[in-house]
Amino acid sequence: MTRCGRWRKAFPEAIYGELDGRVRGKMERHLAHCESCSGLYEKMAAAVRKLDARPAPDREPRFWEGYWDRLEARMGREAAAAPGRRRPVISLPVWAYGAAGALFFIALGIFIGRTVVRPRPELPRTARVTTSPGAGAIETAIAPGSDGTPLAVRASRYLKRSRVLLLAVVNAGPRDEEPFQLNLALQKKTSEDLLREAAVLKRGIGSSDRRLERLISELEMILLQIANLAPEPDDADIAFIRAGVESGDILFKINLTEVRRAAGKPIAGRAPSPWGPAREPSIGAKAVGA
Amino acid sequence: MSREDEARLADRLRTSDPSAFRELVEAYQRKVYGLAYEITRNHDDAEDVSQVAFMKIHRALGTLKPGYGLNTWIYQVVRNAALDHVRKRSAGAREAAASLSALPPSYEPSDPAAGPEKAAESASLRRRVDEALVNFSERERTALVLRHYHGFKVREIAQTMGISLGAVKSYLFRAIHKLQRELDTAETCPGDGERP
Repeated sequence: MTRCGRWRKAFPEAIYGELDGRVRGKMERHLAHCESCSGLYEKMAAAVRKLDARPAPDREPRFWEGYWDRLEARMGREAAAAPGRRRPVISLPVWAYGAAGALFFIALGIFIGRTVVRPRPELPRTARVTTSPGAGAIETAIAPGSDGTPLAVRASRYLKRSRVLLLAVVNAGPRDEEPFQLNLALQKKTSEDLLREAAVLKRGIGSSDRRLERLISELEMILLQIANLAPEPDDADIAFIRAGVESGDILFKINLTEVRRAAGKPIAGRAPSPWGPAREPSIGAKAVGA
Repeated sequence: MSREDEARLADRLRTSDPSAFRELVEAYQRKVYGLAYEITRNHDDAEDVSQVAFMKIHRALGTLKPGYGLNTWIYQVVRNAALDHVRKRSAGAREAAASLSALPPSYEPSDPAAGPEKAAESASLRRRVDEALVNFSERERTALVLRHYHGFKVREIAQTMGISLGAVKSYLFRAIHKLQRELDTAETCPGDGERP
């Protein structure tokens, strides 16, 4: 911008008397030496004076007398017509909306995580045979069940409880002679528990011990009969159960299983025993020991 | 209204004094209407815009900050309301053009001592000035109107219009220079200023 341009830009302030004395003095000195700027300044000042010939827009006095009433009426109408446009009583800051959005996405993520990508419930683990050649012996073990107890321990407990139950039922005498001998409610409850346990054991054992699996199946039939006994069974019902136990040699088979377990021998053919670590050394171990 | 009166009224408005808003309307209604007319160039629109502006001011009284110029804030609201109105008006340009021949209403009493020749000359000059203002851009016209008719200083114009001081000075210079040229042209060719 030229020197003249800078001064000309200040003409409006000079015309309206806004320039301070020092700047105005400098401008006057410039105007005194610059005919072009002084001519323009005079013309512009004259144009501003002519603006006074045109007064500010105005209306008749009657218009202003009713102005407040018209404004008040309009404000009332608009407030009644659009109550929703009023400011909300509770206005949340902007960050609150962001926080709400973040919480929503976190909740959505948790929901998706729990429903879509949730790990599948672990099925009862079947007997898992582990062999540790380095130990010099065939070690067989049964993986723990769903409650953490090794399957072999659970099977042993199952057989012991079944034997006690069967002995109580089989040895119960006629009702007229020993009316309080058999606590039938307790026996039925125990039978139901054992039936549930049998189902778990059979799934866990699978084909690793056929003999034990068959014994559990036979026991299931007897336990089912006990669980379904009437509250006050006839002597004939008890006799029927007793006959089933005796004909199937159930108690003998339970005892035999316990003996085999104590001896650490495989119970079912060539399949490894589910009863825990085998006590027989492997062939390789014998060779080393020899 | 002096600066002290303006500050006192602003304080009363902040404390929700029920009579303060009416006092504000009565103090500013002519100024608000005047600026609205300069932008809309229509009497009905000017009244509508002035009412809309006062309603906006009433709703926003709670946000009025201490120390912030009430005068400047009111003009800001009015200008924005008028610009919104002009934008929404579908045939705004046509209506503005149609109002070129209509002089802005003025009810100042005429000087009885002035003769008919002097009165005619004054009316002619008034018409020429008004026609010249129509040819300004909105910013040029608003800056000049705020300076000449409302007594705003350059700094206040900048605050009201939301522009820099340098920009205000440029708009004012261009507006006055245009006015000067328009009036010179009209004086050189007086027949052009008279419309059939």
